[in-house]
Amino acid sequence: MLSLVIWLPAATALIGATAGGRRVPGLFALLGSLASLGLVIGLIAGFNGGPDELHYVIDVVWIRSLGIHYKLGLDGLNLFLIALTTFVFSLSLIAANLREWPRTELFYLLFGIAQTAVLGAFLAQDLALFIGFFDLMLIPFYLLTGVYGGPGRVAATTKLVIYTLVGSLLMLAGAVALAVLTSHQSGQPLNFTYTALQATALPAGTQDWIFLLFAAAFLVKMPAFPLHGWMPDAYREMPIEVLAPFSGVLSKVGAYGFLAIVLPILPRAGVHFQTLLLLIGLASILYGSAMAFTQTNARLIIGYSSVAQLGFITIGIFALSSQSAQGAVLQMVNHGVVVAPLFLIVALLSARAGGSEDIRDMGGIAMRAPVLATIFLIVAFAALAMPGSGNFVGEVLILLGLFKTKMVFSIIAFTGVLMASVYMLRVFIRTMHNRAGPEVVSRELRWRDALVLVPFVGVIMLFAIYPQLELSRAQTSVTSSISSAAADAAPPASFPVANQ
Amino acid sequence: MTAIARLHSAIVLLASQQSSLNHPRAPHIDYAAISPFEALLGGSVIVLLVGLLRSRFAREQLVPALTLLTLAATIAVTVWQWSDHISAISGALSVDDLALALTLIFAAAGAAAVLLSWRAQAPRESAHGEFHALLLASIAGMAILVAAQNLVTLFIGIELLSIPLYVLCATEMHRASSLESGLKYLVIGSVGSATLLYGLALLYGATGSTDFSAIAASISAGHSSDVLLLTGIALVLVGLCFKASVAPFHQWTPDVYEGAPTPITAFMAVATKAAAFGVLLRIFDVALIADNLDWGPALATLATITIIVGNVGALGQSSLKRMLAYSSVAQAGYIMGGVVVSTQLGASATIFYLVVYLLMNIAAFAVIIARERETLHGDDIDAVAGLGSERPWLAWPLTIAMLSLAGIPATAGFIGKVYLIQALVDGDYTWLAVVIVVGSMISLGYYLRVIAAVWMRDAPAPAPRSANGRPVLAGGSPEADTGGRHLEVAIVALVFAAATIFFGIVPQPLFDFANHAAASLTSFL
Amino acid sequence: MSATTAAWLVLAAPLAGTIVVGALFNRLPGRSAGWVGTSAIALSFIFALITLAKLQQQTPAHRELTSTLWTIAGTVGVDARATILVDPLSVLMICVVAGVSTLIHLYSVSYLQGDRGYSRFFAYLNFFVFSMLLLVLAGNFILLIVGWAFVGAASYMLISFWYRRTTATSAGIKAFVINVLGDIGLVLGTFFIFRHTHTFDLVASFRAAPHVFASGSGDVTAGCLLLLVGAFAKSAQIPLHTWLPDAMEGPTPVSALIHAATMVTAGVYLIARMHPLFQLAPAAGDVGAIVGALTLLIAGTIGLAATDLKRVIAYSTMSQIGYMIMGVSVGAYTAGLFHLMTHAFFKALLFMAAGSLISAMGGVQSLNRMSGLRRALPFTFAAFLIGGLALSGLPPFSGFFSKDSILLFVAGRGGWHWALYVAGYLGAFLTGLYTFRMIFRAFLGEPCPEAAELIDHGHLFHPAAPTNPANGELEDTDVGFPGPDHVIAERAIPMRVAMSLLAVLAIAGGIVSIPKTTSWLDNFLAPTFADSTIASHTTNNLLYLGLILGAAISLVSIATAYVLWVARPALAPAIAARLRPLTTLFEHKWYFDELIDALVVRPGAWFGRFAQNTFERVVVNGLLIGGSTGLVRAGSALVRGTQSGLLRVYAGLMLVGIAGVGLYFLLQS
Repeated sequence: MLSLVIWLPAATALIGATAGGRRVPGLFALLGSLASLGLVIGLIAGFNGGPDELHYVIDVVWIRSLGIHYKLGLDGLNLFLIALTTFVFSLSLIAANLREWPRTELFYLLFGIAQTAVLGAFLAQDLALFIGFFDLMLIPFYLLTGVYGGPGRVAATTKLVIYTLVGSLLMLAGAVALAVLTSHQSGQPLNFTYTALQATALPAGTQDWIFLLFAAAFLVKMPAFPLHGWMPDAYREMPIEVLAPFSGVLSKVGAYGFLAIVLPILPRAGVHFQTLLLLIGLASILYGSAMAFTQTNARLIIGYSSVAQLGFITIGIFALSSQSAQGAVLQMVNHGVVVAPLFLIVALLSARAGGSEDIRDMGGIAMRAPVLATIFLIVAFAALAMPGSGNFVGEVLILLGLFKTKMVFSIIAFTGVLMASVYMLRVFIRTMHNRAGPEVVSRELRWRDALVLVPFVGVIMLFAIYPQLELSRAQTSVTSSISSAAADAAPPASFPVANQ
Repeated sequence: MTAIARLHSAIVLLASQQSSLNHPRAPHIDYAAISPFEALLGGSVIVLLVGLLRSRFAREQLVPALTLLTLAATIAVTVWQWSDHISAISGALSVDDLALALTLIFAAAGAAAVLLSWRAQAPRESAHGEFHALLLASIAGMAILVAAQNLVTLFIGIELLSIPLYVLCATEMHRASSLESGLKYLVIGSVGSATLLYGLALLYGATGSTDFSAIAASISAGHSSDVLLLTGIALVLVGLCFKASVAPFHQWTPDVYEGAPTPITAFMAVATKAAAFGVLLRIFDVALIADNLDWGPALATLATITIIVGNVGALGQSSLKRMLAYSSVAQAGYIMGGVVVSTQLGASATIFYLVVYLLMNIAAFAVIIARERETLHGDDIDAVAGLGSERPWLAWPLTIAMLSLAGIPATAGFIGKVYLIQALVDGDYTWLAVVIVVGSMISLGYYLRVIAAVWMRDAPAPAPRSANGRPVLAGGSPEADTGGRHLEVAIVALVFAAATIFFGIVPQPLFDFANHAAASLTSFL
Repeated sequence: MSATTAAWLVLAAPLAGTIVVGALFNRLPGRSAGWVGTSAIALSFIFALITLAKLQQQTPAHRELTSTLWTIAGTVGVDARATILVDPLSVLMICVVAGVSTLIHLYSVSYLQGDRGYSRFFAYLNFFVFSMLLLVLAGNFILLIVGWAFVGAASYMLISFWYRRTTATSAGIKAFVINVLGDIGLVLGTFFIFRHTHTFDLVASFRAAPHVFASGSGDVTAGCLLLLVGAFAKSAQIPLHTWLPDAMEGPTPVSALIHAATMVTAGVYLIARMHPLFQLAPAAGDVGAIVGALTLLIAGTIGLAATDLKRVIAYSTMSQIGYMIMGVSVGAYTAGLFHLMTHAFFKALLFMAAGSLISAMGGVQSLNRMSGLRRALPFTFAAFLIGGLALSGLPPFSGFFSKDSILLFVAGRGGWHWALYVAGYLGAFLTGLYTFRMIFRAFLGEPCPEAAELIDHGHLFHPAAPTNPANGELEDTDVGFPGPDHVIAERAIPMRVAMSLLAVLAIAGGIVSIPKTTSWLDNFLAPTFADSTIASHTTNNLLYLGLILGAAISLVSIATAYVLWVARPALAPAIAARLRPLTTLFEHKWYFDELIDALVVRPGAWFGRFAQNTFERVVVNGLLIGGSTGLVRAGSALVRGTQSGLLRVYAGLMLVGIAGVGLYFLLQS
């Protein structure tokens, strides 16, 4: 079942690519993506947020000598993340199908592989398998950016992939060390599955350095301040249809890794570095917001805004309280659902502003495009976590949990909420309102564009009215995944950063 | 199958007669056990003879065919001998699974080399017969080297391995750089051999025995910290580091690799390295195992230096052969890690990585050769620019090879690296594992550059030709003017790339292979 | 149907109106969009009345009904539910809100005709009413916050309704951001409460509060202070008031509905709603009272100096809300809400009249340009006069009683509250002064050209090229621009109907609670505030003193205004000249904008620039990326340097290597 969900996109994309032709590859890739989206919706419907255990588990020994299993499993944590993945990828594929691509089959083949890799990373229940997918998902995006990107694409994509792989190679070393040391300690044969790794707790010192290796990988992936150096170039050069899933989904893998892998397996290190990670999160929030309201390139504004949003998710995870963890997971989904349409809207805007993505060249676009303006306004309100949106519920949960454990951090984090309202409205007003820019030719969005955007709005509305849909299913998994760390944290054991 | 079997028996017969002629009063020799060596040596003789024939067909088609046949036979008998440990010729050679496994690697590399040079310049300039005979002889040397059980056989093996290679490097006689590389290799190689010889002599002096197990016994008996012994170890180490191109004894590598005919470069990069590490395993993890507290850190330090030097050196090389030369230096550093830990796991990881290394490197070199013949850019990176849209069937193998060398998942390179890291962590050399990781970070810089050229650049304008019709580009090789697309080259590239992916997804057979081979080193128990 | 069902329908009607008008924005012919919107709100008002009736059927003890539709977020100890709370307080609010909104919609049907964004306007306006009703009906902190933010959003959308005006968009973002600040205060305050009560449900936390909070304990005080921040931001209290005057960029009906009658009084409602908490935090109450008093004075002084018609009314709104905040903060809940109600009537009326006036002036808002419009706009003049009299609290107009009851309660508190009492009457004097300064300057005196044109030729003045009254730049005559044609009450029945009804209410609104005669409002609200522990010892003497004082002060202030601006026009400038520093202070609105700019905006912008120009370049790209790559590059250069290709060099290095290895092993022995 889960294997089907994972491999369907790549398989169909491959078939389409071999079939060739102008339209066929795109349609096949889209079909595969939609099919796995359908499967996931089925999973959500059939999911009972009941006792904390994995569902639809597949556990085959993959590499005996290394104790690596092909183990997949569905729980409340990754359920909605795979839903997000399939959803965003499907809509991005629709958007992509509206355009002509050189070397079509290559484009869609890479797209399918990318989706498969992301889904695999979310569903993997074996550390080595996770890392495999984690690195693998980078290659298609490397090529997609490098082949189809803007003028500075090669440099940008190289920067992106090296930056990210540096992190994940460190994580690889950490993972192997983790498994070996665990097997030494427990006397069991080598075994990379999460359950096996959780079974035995390593001594604090060991946990600490392994934790740092993992953190490097995940923080780069998110990206978190100050490791976001690859982000501006990559975001500037990527084709929007690629950027939407990249920013909407891939950034979540890092956060997911913290929540699903690091905290359960290295709880003591998680507590030990709690303050450090909270500070990184705060820095990301403040810095990302500050950058977001000084940028003039619409893409970068959104890019830096998602640095800030990921900062919220980080502090949500490392508040080590069940509420904020719940909020963090909800926020991962929300941010994905919000940021992807934002990028697609930027594409539409620049199409109306003579191809420029600089908000100084835009303005007054709402004039002939009230529907587009309304959609943008809704998405923007959701993005700035306006009460009544799902993002608001997420942030409230995050900050509430943090408020209980570390009040000061929570209060500082609220400034991020304020700044979000500034930069999101700024970009909305500068593009949609005010006097029309020099090149601006305002026109309503076409039906096919609406076909892409409206589902996003629909889901945003759904999560605005009924976030419980996600929360109730995630509850048991989330609470159990942070339980051990939270237990250690109970006597506030986190040392100030200075002592580290 | 039957054909091969019959042929094999015939070769055995022939070889046995020869050797019985040469050594009438020889000790009992288990000819079946040493049949791989017989096959190789006999084959080389036959090839040499056939090479003397007049007809063009005989020289250009029959000779390579026979060479391939010989290698096939070798593989066949190796498989036949698999998993029975025989100490042949009164303990001079041990035909165990380690030796056989490595022999398989050599044979495979040799076969690839033959296919790649089928229509190449080198064999035509030096007569085909010599070219292939030397190749086979060198392989035989390697086989003997890794089977050696005492210092003397070891040295014989080394020389038999090296001397043909010196010649092979220089086989493109009209090209200065080829000759230069041959000469350089000769000089430095002999310095290496000399150092090695000194070392061996000192070892003998210190332990009073040339037999590995005897040496091991006497060391554990307790002159572990004897100056004589330690100096011996040092010199032996240096000598072998030359062969394995371990920094700081790697300097010949880039020049020789660049100068030598590309098929030979491919062969050297893979086979010589495998042989060197095979013998490193034999000496350090068998003979000197008791002393590993002394040499362990030294090897680890050398490995670190090698990894760093190789990786930073490869950055910004525009000649692909030079780049791969440096990358081979770096990879040698990784593999060294497997030897350092001196555990069975380490040995197994070493062999595993050697096989992986064979697959990905041959694939890469095959593509380079193909482009050397198709474009005027020689082995310059421009030669592969725009390959993705122009020749996808060459682009994918190169991409896979680069990804595998960089250690990306779903390729054998990834598994190999994981295995090495595991062995290192397991042997309390975690810091060396981190060094490997850092090395592979740097390596991304140049591997990705190739992929970027393949997929993200357009084919450049054809390079200007100099008067003699050859590309004026640095590293440009005359093979450019034997233009045309050669199917066998593309096939080699595809097969080896496919194998790289296959073992990246289904590595278990390779693990069994490596474990089996490593198990024959009983010294760890 | 039960009271709660009716209450849900109260919410449903405007939401449906929003959706219908919004979905069919370009299909609705003529003014039908306006009629759809108006009828939606009217329907909502009817349901509100039904709710009122149903609620009154309950026994006073049981006039607190809740109803939950679904759970928004019910996990790990959080209970965010879609719950409404129907009690006298919320019912009073929905009646006032829905009622006034209906009239203003009616007014807008004509007033906005000819604007290119006609349906957009009504979609927004319906959405606002929905949000406001949600805010007052919410029975759960989260839902309250949602409504709270929605009204902010609606206000933003309507302020920058004419989005081609940069003044409008900047005013909009200013209002929105300050409102978000208020939201944050509200949320943080909620956290402080939740921390101890462990529930977001309003009723439950009120029940729990006395048990979990010691009176005056730190957390409840902090919580209430943060709630006050929310209230101040929403109700334009000092120092978070600067958005309100700018908000006058919106169409005049918006100013009437949102920035006078309903939204800005949300803060008052909040404090009244949270009174069980505020009673546990006396300090917070005192802060609220003092800020309210300061606001009513400062706003009054600025109102004296302002020359923009709408801004004068805006400042008067600020000062009137100051009264209410002061009232509810000292515990005069009923009185505060009473003033809220009456103020909604007369302030809405004033704005409507102002709208008609501005239309007659062809969009000009400056008092300096207006004069003698009385004969041109008789009806408008009457409406304006009634509103003004009610505002300046002349008996028997509604404003008189409501303002008086607040001050009476304040006096009853005794102690330092007498200062507030004095401030209150000082403010009352200012109110009369600026109100009638406005009325006299606009309506009396020689007719200005616009007025003359209306009187003589009987048609409205139309400027040749429409300009933005705020900064005088030429209008971009496309969407998002106040329509070319203007409408005055004299010519539009819907406007007249709405204004007359409001006029009646403004005159007679006080009837619900006349001292010694009627006490309907008090009895009605009694169930909600039964638990109020704040006692006010009022005596009859105090009562009479207050009544007399109020009447006298309003008369005196009006008389003074007459002297200054009608009888002896030369006097006002003279006084202004005499008190130059004071007048400049007033004209610059006490420099609040400059202050906030220097304290908040500039540092923020600086930080942004620093991050962008310095940090990103030096640290993120320089150190982290440049540093590492530079190191590697250097190494690569070194290695290639040694790779000279010369054998002797190699030999040399080789010897070094051999020596090194040899040395190492020798050291081992």
